[in-house]
Amino acid sequence: MEAMRDQEAVRRASYDFWLILATVVVLFAISAISIGAMFAFKWAAVDQMAPAMKAAYMERMNRIVAPFVVVLVVLLGICIPKRLLPVRWLNRFAAFLLVLAAIATAWQGVRLGLFVVVAISFVLQLVVLVMALAGSRRLYFIHAGYWLRVGSSLLHLGLVLFLLDLFLFRLPTVHLALFWCTTLTTVTGMICCFWSSAVAGAVRRLSLRRKGNGAY
Amino acid sequence: MSPNLPLPLAEFAMFGETIMAALVFLAFLGFLVGGMLLFGWPASLAAGAAGRVRRTSAPLLWGQCLLYLVAFLAICWLHLTIYQTIALDLPPPLGEYLNRQLARMGGGLPPYDPSAPPRYIIPLWIENEKYLFWFACFAFMAALAHRRLADWRFRGALHLAAAVQVAILFWAVDPFAQPLPRFFAEIGPWLADTLGPAERLGLFMRLYPRMVYYYNASYMWLHPPLLFLAYACITITFLASLFMLAGRRRLEVERLAYDHAKLGFFLLTLGMLLGYPWALQAWGPNWWWDPKICASIMMWAVYSTYLHTRLYANRPGMWYFSAGLGILCFVAMLFTFLASFFFPGEHTFQ
Repeated sequence: MEAMRDQEAVRRASYDFWLILATVVVLFAISAISIGAMFAFKWAAVDQMAPAMKAAYMERMNRIVAPFVVVLVVLLGICIPKRLLPVRWLNRFAAFLLVLAAIATAWQGVRLGLFVVVAISFVLQLVVLVMALAGSRRLYFIHAGYWLRVGSSLLHLGLVLFLLDLFLFRLPTVHLALFWCTTLTTVTGMICCFWSSAVAGAVRRLSLRRKGNGAY
Repeated sequence: MSPNLPLPLAEFAMFGETIMAALVFLAFLGFLVGGMLLFGWPASLAAGAAGRVRRTSAPLLWGQCLLYLVAFLAICWLHLTIYQTIALDLPPPLGEYLNRQLARMGGGLPPYDPSAPPRYIIPLWIENEKYLFWFACFAFMAALAHRRLADWRFRGALHLAAAVQVAILFWAVDPFAQPLPRFFAEIGPWLADTLGPAERLGLFMRLYPRMVYYYNASYMWLHPPLLFLAYACITITFLASLFMLAGRRRLEVERLAYDHAKLGFFLLTLGMLLGYPWALQAWGPNWWWDPKICASIMMWAVYSTYLHTRLYANRPGMWYFSAGLGILCFVAMLFTFLASFFFPGEHTFQ
């Protein structure tokens, strides 16, 4: 039993590592495109162009970056269930997600395909957050610690919410309301994740003070 | 700058010059001390003298912090004086006419209130003042890092970095030599007192939107300072990453780099997020591929890559890879900041 658990841990660490490396490669590609876009903007003097030409430039850049954003969203969709499922199920889940996205894309276009991936990611991340808040030991994290897990779950939920929010760009009120939810989730997540021991200490002191007040 | 400005600018400049001179003096001493700590003592320096040099290290950094604080308070005083002195006031008939025009245009500009004419609430980090704020943040963080990490060579590097920043501030972007040149160039004609009513109204309509959407915008009090604080954190991460690459493996150096990277990433993300709703409001949707936004996204991507790879710093080769990324974050930061000078767009300083 112990040996099986060790094997699972080794496989998981390796799986995590390659997923992170893949994410790094995509982020580098997006960075390179961003730098290229800066020079293209300067050389073509886009800021001097008529609005229609400016819109055409933006459309062209969107098309160039789109495949990488698609890969990033798919990677996110694969990353999120890794907290919930054992490694042998992750590949199957990734395949299932890709098939589902492909069907949705074939049916209504790439926008719906991506929306399906993000929506599933959102539901799964919400489950991860609830389980982390409940202190579940069934979640797979590299590091231990209640607040670190809650923080990491919130931070990734913020990222998924941000992606989901981009789909609502044309509805300003909803878009901005969801944007503030994203900001709150991300900021709280970063605080809990980056300074988990300080948060744990503060919560402990607070609960001790409450108990102390109750005693008097 | 117009000599007719009703502000004590000469006194401000004179006081600022004194502070800057003291800052340059301390930074020069810090540069000498930092050089000796980083590269070793000259053979002529006796052991006792070396001990004395080490004892001056922390007070020199804290002294710079104190001078930065005084300089920052002087800037606060100037801005308060601007608020109290300069108002965009119009004669009553012009004010009524303006309000009718504003109501007809239906933009987001608030109506003119003759009982409380609009005044400038200028943020403390515009034009050259932003460098003072940025470098002051670094000096405070360097002083805290100096206290935390008992490594004399690293402390020397902190001194050298602080001295380089003071040199840039003094020679290239001194906020006291010519206070707020762009602002005073804009407002100068308004204060000239030679304008007829029509010209006055025309100038008001140029100054008022800029006041509302730029100088007095609430986002200006959050978005830029958070980014400058993040830049200071990235500089500390950069110095620690250099030591990770060059020196022997020391966990406390890596820990220092990571702690500053976490704080920097937090501030950077929050700063970027808080800029987003304002950009939507001020520029509409046409800013997404703006060069500065591209550079910021690139910097954020590099930074999040650093934080992710750092999880595996104990794997073979990953120690150096994550240190390299720490350095790359700094290069990306410089590139992003300098992009405002060389690339056109909404954030340009050109």
